[in-house]
Amino acid sequence: MVPPIPTDLTTAQVLPKNFLRPCLLLLLREQPAHGYDLLERLRPLGFSRDDPGRLYRALRTLESDGLVRSVWEKSSTGPDRRMYEITRSGMEELHGAAKALMATDEVLGVFLSRYSEFVALEPRKRSRARTD
Amino acid sequence: MDELEVLRVRDEVLQAMYWMHSEGISEQPTAVELSRFLAVPDTVLIAYLDRFVEDGLLERSGDARYVLSPGGLESGKRTFADEMADLTRPTHGECDADCWCHDSPEAAAECLHDRVGSSHSH
Repeated sequence: MVPPIPTDLTTAQVLPKNFLRPCLLLLLREQPAHGYDLLERLRPLGFSRDDPGRLYRALRTLESDGLVRSVWEKSSTGPDRRMYEITRSGMEELHGAAKALMATDEVLGVFLSRYSEFVALEPRKRSRARTD
Repeated sequence: MDELEVLRVRDEVLQAMYWMHSEGISEQPTAVELSRFLAVPDTVLIAYLDRFVEDGLLERSGDARYVLSPGGLESGKRTFADEMADLTRPTHGECDADCWCHDSPEAAAECLHDRVGSSHSH
């Protein structure tokens, strides 16, 4: 029996697999950041603040892979925190991931364009489908 | 309980708890919250947490919560930095964060090609 297609998917559930990794590299390319700051800045990219452990584990993996490094930042009001920054290798991985996402974006444009031939899309999505 | 495994889990737990504490995410997590954070079963983790309480690295708080002792706080902070120190040190020839090769995928590929040919000089 074919399982029903879920219709209540959240944004995070439909994001590309491992999307968190390039997103973190992008945010750290924009500026070095603390964990909590990253948690906040991930929201517009489709991630919830409800799973800080996922962010922690991703940062640890990126750091052990040499794509991110962290240094202590002294605080006069609270505990010292780790400040994360992207490494040279991280920049190279970010470029590679961006290329792959651009290819994915082209495929999505084709999908939305064909979908919009028989279903009315919201204006923003419709204009994107036309330009793709 | 395998003592080597105890040491490994101890570092994982203390580092995670220090990070949660320093980022203001949680001062006193429960075993379930910690297990979600570390993506390990809470039934496995709780025996280790009890061991770390016995060792004086954690203290029990209300509602089955755990908090870092002063010694645990110091240990978590120290091992956090030590573990990654050798992995993230810049390597010979590594350029700086503002290098032109960070501008585009093409520039990065060109830079990588040059470095493989040992002529990376920017």
